[in-house]
Formats: sequence, C-alpha cells, structure tokens
Amino acid sequence: MYYRTIVWFLGAGLMAGAVFAAEPQTSPGENPKPIHLIRRPVEPFSAMAKLGHDIFLDTSLSSSGKIACASCHSPDHAYGPPNEGPVMLGGPELKLPGVRAVPSLTYLERQLDFSIGPDDPLNENVNLAQQAEVGKTADRVQKTATQAAQSAANIVPQGGLFWDGRADTLQIQASGPLLDPREMDGGSIEIIAEKLRNAPYAKKFAALFGERVFKDPRLLVAEATFAVSRYQIEEPGFHPYTSKYDYWLEGRARMSEVELRGLRLFNDPEKANCAGCHSSQPSREGFPPRFTDTQYEALGAPRNSALADTRDPGYFDLGVCGPIRKDIADQTQFCGMFKTPSLRNTAVRRAFFHNGVFHTLQEVMDFYNFRDTHPEKVYPVGADGKVQKYNDIPVQYHANVDVSDPPFNRHPGETLAMTAQDEADIIAFLKTLNDGYKPE
Amino acid sequence: MKKNLLSTAAMFGIVAAVAWSGLVAADDFNFRGPDFGRPGFGQPGFGQPGFGQPGNGGNQGNPANTVSTKTPIKHLVVIFQENRSFDHYFGTYPNALNVDGEPVFEPAKNTPKVINNLLSSEALLTNNPNLNPLNGTGASNPFRLDRTQANTADQNHAYTPEESAYDGGKNDLFPLDTGKGTSGGSGGFGTTAQVMGFFDGNTVTAFWNYAQNFAMSDNAWTDDFGPSTPGALNMFAGTTNGAVVPAGFSANTIADGQGGLTLINDTDPAGDVCSSKTAQVQMTSKNIGDLLNAGNIPWGSFMGGFNLQTINNNGTTGCARSSTGQAVGITADYVQHHAWFQYYTSTANPTHARPTSTKAIGFTKVPGTQTVDPANHAYDLEDFTTAVGAGNFPSVSFIKLPAVQDGHPGYSDPLDEQTGIVTLINFLQQQPDWDSTAVIINYDDSDGWYDHAFATTTHGSFSTADTLNGTGNCGTPTLTPEPIGVKGGQVAGRCGPGTRVPFLVISPFAKKNYVSHVLISQASIPQFIEDNWLKSERIGEGSFDATTGSIMDMFDFSQAPNRKLILDATFGVVDSKTN
Repeated sequence: MYYRTIVWFLGAGLMAGAVFAAEPQTSPGENPKPIHLIRRPVEPFSAMAKLGHDIFLDTSLSSSGKIACASCHSPDHAYGPPNEGPVMLGGPELKLPGVRAVPSLTYLERQLDFSIGPDDPLNENVNLAQQAEVGKTADRVQKTATQAAQSAANIVPQGGLFWDGRADTLQIQASGPLLDPREMDGGSIEIIAEKLRNAPYAKKFAALFGERVFKDPRLLVAEATFAVSRYQIEEPGFHPYTSKYDYWLEGRARMSEVELRGLRLFNDPEKANCAGCHSSQPSREGFPPRFTDTQYEALGAPRNSALADTRDPGYFDLGVCGPIRKDIADQTQFCGMFKTPSLRNTAVRRAFFHNGVFHTLQEVMDFYNFRDTHPEKVYPVGADGKVQKYNDIPVQYHANVDVSDPPFNRHPGETLAMTAQDEADIIAFLKTLNDGYKPE
Repeated sequence: MKKNLLSTAAMFGIVAAVAWSGLVAADDFNFRGPDFGRPGFGQPGFGQPGFGQPGNGGNQGNPANTVSTKTPIKHLVVIFQENRSFDHYFGTYPNALNVDGEPVFEPAKNTPKVINNLLSSEALLTNNPNLNPLNGTGASNPFRLDRTQANTADQNHAYTPEESAYDGGKNDLFPLDTGKGTSGGSGGFGTTAQVMGFFDGNTVTAFWNYAQNFAMSDNAWTDDFGPSTPGALNMFAGTTNGAVVPAGFSANTIADGQGGLTLINDTDPAGDVCSSKTAQVQMTSKNIGDLLNAGNIPWGSFMGGFNLQTINNNGTTGCARSSTGQAVGITADYVQHHAWFQYYTSTANPTHARPTSTKAIGFTKVPGTQTVDPANHAYDLEDFTTAVGAGNFPSVSFIKLPAVQDGHPGYSDPLDEQTGIVTLINFLQQQPDWDSTAVIINYDDSDGWYDHAFATTTHGSFSTADTLNGTGNCGTPTLTPEPIGVKGGQVAGRCGPGTRVPFLVISPFAKKNYVSHVLISQASIPQFIEDNWLKSERIGEGSFDATTGSIMDMFDFSQAPNRKLILDATFGVVDSKTN
C-alpha cells in the first residue's frame, strides 16, 4: 500500500504544475502536461452482451410489467435515476418506495470485491470477519487530497457494489432489484425463469448455453443476470470517460478560470479536500480517475423524513452493518458507513446521499461546509433547543462518524472551509465531470 | 512478458527513468565447440536427423547442450499453473460450441476418440451425480462457461473439502464441499453451482490447439489432495512431509504420526522477505534441485515478480509488484506460497538476491570462478527470457508466470493465462534450441473445480483431516497404507492421487494430437528429469517420484519433429505452422 502515497505525491505535483505553473507556451486553461488515458477498447458486442442488453430493457420481468433495469438506471441520466425523488417507486403497482436512492451504474467496471484492510486477493486464509476484527483495533488516520493514508492503519471497508457493498459482482447486484418487492418485484427465481424461457430473446440463451439451460431455473437466472453485467462491461456508455475533465487531462480541452479554481479547491486539503475520497488523479497505469476511493465512510447525512421508513423513530439505515446487509452486522464500527460514490456525472443527479436527502449540489456543498461549524444549518433543532446532529444514526454509533478528514475536522466557531464563491467554483468544476463533452 | 504500457512511462517519465532492468547486459558466451554428451543414448531416435546433432540450428555455445541426456531433450521448461481441473478445461474436448463472435475451434479429423472427459458418458452432462440433493441449491449438471465468463469465482480447494467432494470416488458433492469462494471483481461470474462449470475451445483456445498439435494426458493427478503449496512441493520434491514450523509461527500442517509434520494446505516459506509475518513453514526433504546441483546440471526457477528491485510501469516494486490483467484487475505478481524452491534451505533465495550475470543463471557457482552465485538458482521470469535469448538456456527451467497470468480464479483467468503461456511458448519455438526443447504445462491443484474422474487411492491417510472414505479415512488401512515419510515410517497427510488436472507436453518430440492414458502425477516431472539427466537416480525419503507413472508415453523420439505452432496470444487461434 505504500505506493499509494507515492502515486499521490506525484499526482499532486502533476496537478500543482497544471494549475499553478506559468508555462508561457501553454494557452490559458490547458493542461500543461497532457497525458494519455487508457480506455477500454470498443469492440463489437459479444453474444452475451447482446443478450444482456435485451434483458436490461425487458419490462416483462417486473411484477408491474412496466419497469426494467433501465427504468431506474436511465441511460439518459448516466444510468442513474431519471427524476428528483429521493428513491424510486416499484412493486406491483409502482407505489412502493425503494429503500435507498438509486446509485448510478456507471464506472463500476474496475470495482474490486468488498474487503476490509489492505488489498490482498491472494490471501486465501482470511475471511471478512477476521479482516474486520483487525480493523477494530486500528487507529484512524486522516485522509487528505494530497496524502492518501488509508491503509493498514486506517481500516475501513472498500470495494463492492450497492451503497453497503453487499454484492461483489454486477451479476449478483443485478439480481437485487430484480427480486426486491419494492423494486422490480420479480417474485421468485422460478417465475423469472419462466418469463425468460418465453422471452423474445430466449433463443439467444440456447445459442450460448445449449437448450439444457432452460431446465435449471437457478442457472438460467444466473446466466441472465451475468448477461446484464456483461452488457454493462461491454457497452461503452457505462464507462465512457468522455468528460471535459478527461479531455483536459489529455490536453484536448481548456478549462475556464472558474473551473480551474474549482479543481484547485477540490484538491486542496485545507479547503474542500474533496479529492481526499473522490480521487481526481489518473492511476499510475494511466486509467482515468474514478472520483472515488471506493471506501466507506459515515458522514452523518441528516435523516430524510420524506422516506416512508423513517416514520418509525426506531428505524435507522446503517449501511454496512445493516439492516439490508446482514453478514457483518456485528462489526458495529461500520454502522452508518456508506460507499463513497463516484462524482462523475453527479451534476446530472437530483438525489444525493444514500437516503436522497439532498436534491442539489448546493445543498451537498453546504452540508460539507456547515456540518461541524454551523450544524443548525444542516440538522433540525429539537424541542430542547439542541441541534440534533447526526440524527440518522443512533447515538451509540456517533463515534463512527468521520470527524478527522477535512473539512469535517472543524468545530463551531472555526473558519468555514469554503466561501460561497468557493462552493460555486467547485460546483462549476463538478460539471466538467459530466460525460459527453465534445473536445476541440 | 511484461505488459508494458508505454503511455504510463510517458506520463511518469521520472519513474520510467529509474526503472532498472536488474541485470547487466547479456554476456557473450565463448564456449568452444559443442561437446554433446551422448545424444539419444539408448533411444530409438538415435542418429535421426535434427536430433542431437551439433550445429543443426541449435545454439552451439549453450552450456546445457553439452550435458549428457537419455533423450534428445536438452531443455525442459515446466510451466506450473494454478487451479484448474481437467474436465474444467477439457470436459467437452474436442467439441466447442462456437458461439458467434468467439474464436472458432474445429477439431482435426484424427483427434483421438477415446478421451476420459464429460463426453465419455451422456449422463455426465444430463444426469450428473452432483444433482445429489445433499448439494442443496447448488445441485447441478455441468454447464458451459462462456468466454465472457473467464473471470470466475475461486472455489474451495483445501485438503479436506476436496476429499469430501470426491466422496469416496462418487465425485458427487462438489457444490456442497468445494463450490464456494471469492469472486474476482465487478465483472466476474459466480453462482452457487459454479464449481460445475467448464470452459471449451472458444475460451481455452490455445490449450485446445496445443492438444491438437502435441500431446496431453487425460490421466494426470495431483499427488495429494489440497491446494497450491502441497502441489508445488510435490512437483519439486515429491513429498509434503518433513515440515518444520519456525518458533513463533503457525502453519497448515498436521501431525504425521511419526513425530513429524506434513503440510496439507498453503503456508508461506520460512525466511522469504515477502512471507507472512505470522505463518511460515520450512521443508526438510531433499528435492530435485538438490539432485540437479549434485549432477552439475544447469537449472533454475523463474518466477514473475521475484526480482524485488524491478519497478513495474505502474510504480510498484519490491514484494508489492503488481500487474493489470485483461479480465480481472490489478494483482500482485509474486505469490510466496507458490515458490517451491523457497521452502528448502538448499534451494532458497530468501532475500531474492540477484544473479551476478546472465552467464551465471542456472549455475551454483559463477562460471569460470569459485564464487557462489547469490541467486542460488532462483530468478525472476524476465531472467529466463534474457538468459535464453543470450544463449544460456538451462537444462531444466521451472516457470511461474506473474500471478495475473497463473490461471488462479479470483485474481487470474483463462484469458490472461493464455496470453502468458502463448507468449512464452511462441518465444521458445523461435529459439535455436527449440529442436531439443520440451515444455510441460501442469497445475498445482484443481481449485476444487468439478472433475468426474477418480483415481483409486494408492497412498492413504488416516487423520482428522481426512474424509474421502468417511471421517478419519482417505483410503482403506489394509489396502492403501500411508506412504513412507522423510524419516521413514508411514506418515499421514499425503492422501492421493488427489484431483485430476491438465498436463500437456509441447515439443518437437511430443506425439502429435495424442492423448495419453498412463496415470501420472506432479511427481512425474522430477521423475522425467531424473530419467533424462540423472541416470534415474531418485530423491528418496518417500518421494512419489519413485512410484508414480512416466510421461514418456507422450513422446516419440523417432518421429519427424512436429512443426512449430505459433498462436495468437489474445485469442489462442493459430497464427502459423512452420517447420
């Protein structure tokens, strides 16, 4: 893990050079040290991906007959939700609200398995519970945009899919919404298998797996969900890396002054420190930045009373430790933690955080800015006149909330991390992360 | 072999500038005229053109060419891969589904009809014993894995679960006992019954093409049940007995019943600077390296990631060197518990010391001097291509590809494996010494993947770790006694034959499009080395090299040499066949 530090050091140098160096031969707004980004080569769809495309769009697999994967993971909205609702509606009559905001399906093609502690895929003798035990005694280390200290000494989970990392593969993830009674509500493996046997694309299964696959419902559905995952891998739209920022990195686009200022603030550990978790640097190999370190944090987003579940005062969505995820519920040091999402295309979203409590980037920026210096601007005030800080996490887990990574290391009365202008500049930069930019 | 990404170098010029190849420039060899030993002594091919004749395209300065051998083979290259069963790669050989858009495989008309795989009996595919309800929701027939599913989950391949899955030879509890594991990143494929999956010639295309043009076995086994380390030790020493756990460390050993220990699962080698700080083990038996040293035969182990001084293009170095695969993600190059030679004091290079020169590769002492070379026959994979390219092709070379190409599910996959293997074999076929070379591809274990075949137990084990024939039993005490251990006396923890794995021989002298049915094992590799170079001297100390079968059935030293088969490293299809 030591090399991560080196990567950041060099990366920071690159960025500093890009932003500050007054190199006369560079036009304003250009990256003075353009690089080449590695993108997955675009190849013709495999038979598997063609099948997956059909399934991704198939509304017949839902109990309502009206929604498909693509309904909530809208291709026109960066494979995220198409509206501003905190969650999407599903079930037989499309009246049941989902549990969490719909995450985007983009930029997951390089996601690693859920794990705790330093990556070690070769270690066959350690399981998740053992990893987590180690984490209980480890000290927390501050994460900043210029020094990624997350390693053995700072053990939070990383990788995995869904807000709580409970799935490792896109295949397993795909079966979640398909069977969730509040989403597509597919009923059962048998019901879905029967629909697949009679689907217009059924012959594609036979060509790939032989007729025998129809006799095994479990295998048939597994192949169907794998096909969907393969479509997500092969369809460039799920990981295009065509943002203005990508082209800027490559020297093919110019950033405005405001955008560059936003980028600098984004990366500045004394200011927004966004890049401490939303990594903005290409990998050492030259893979484009994903704008997430894929780690898990408890940030203490306010409770969203718009969610039906929250009418029960005893209901808390605690992410990694439950209630949806059940395998490491006893690792209470993770209660309240959710996965850091990529910020690519975040500017086209209208529901932010796992509970969709925020609807604009301005609200999100204010949360980061005011949570610790002016919590009354973020959380409700109770009858006792006290601010109900972290009101979506039970008191016994408040210690899990991140108060070490800037800007969350501040206290009431201290200087704000960002001015209003800073926030506006960062938002301008975030818009350069939207895909579909046309380079010069 | 290195997957260089030049763009990275362009981006981080500073890193590229300090990257160090780790070796001085290849030396020239000034060996005077070749002095071939007794080429083909006692072999039917003696005197055949193109065999054992100096100056016949072979490299005349190559020290290994002067070593006396029983067969025309002057160079053996063992590519030791990870975690595939025979049926998992060859279950429907030679019939591939040929899905649209995938590399096409069409079998030659003279492909052998008798192959012990999933086509041997129709019921294996349609009414398989693993429909056994004890497998629960994992009960399943075998099924095809598509090329897009190359990145699968890793199955359970520990000693005891493998015995349980083979279930006394009924081979009917794979989903229950070995059908578990980790997945390999977001694009991977995994199901409860995945352990029943098999690839065909549309995915393992190169392997099927090698089988079409050279020889393979459908009766090759791991010597014992169990995972990587036991398999690697059996390939190198023919035994897993004689384990010693250093003070303060733990290891996956069991009491052998004679006051000693047998290693039955993975543990890192003692003293390797990259090893775990809590679990390590030392092995005390003799090994084939000791015999080669005594015979002054040039040999070496060449592992991806072994040179800790190299800085990969992604900036990683030391024990953390890593590479990016096509189907999986970034994986560390060097895996300590795969390094057969590191377990023995006599063959270890615990600090990963570098050889003094290319010329010294393969030798205990720096040639022409009395200086002991610090590398002690243990090198980086890049040293292999450097040495061979410089005309110093050792007699025996054991190869471990960087982990991303070693084939192990979860962090490697058949496509990355194919790229590594094809690149290496294409390279070897273009060397002047190819006409006296044999390549063996073999596996350390089956990963627990389903295989329908069972080899009657010949060496039993009766310990708490054994379950093949009920609790505490692998085999029958009266019929299949425990084998002899390092210090004499019968020892537990070495039950086998274990799982069936692929075994291919690629050589001008490999029988063409041939499937051998002779029962062989990992220890057949040291046995062949002993037969070819060491007058059939055996390791002793209970090594299986003395009792296992011979791979000679896969060779024909009197045949017209096979044509070279150059394959495409990405798709495994035939690029060219040349003489």
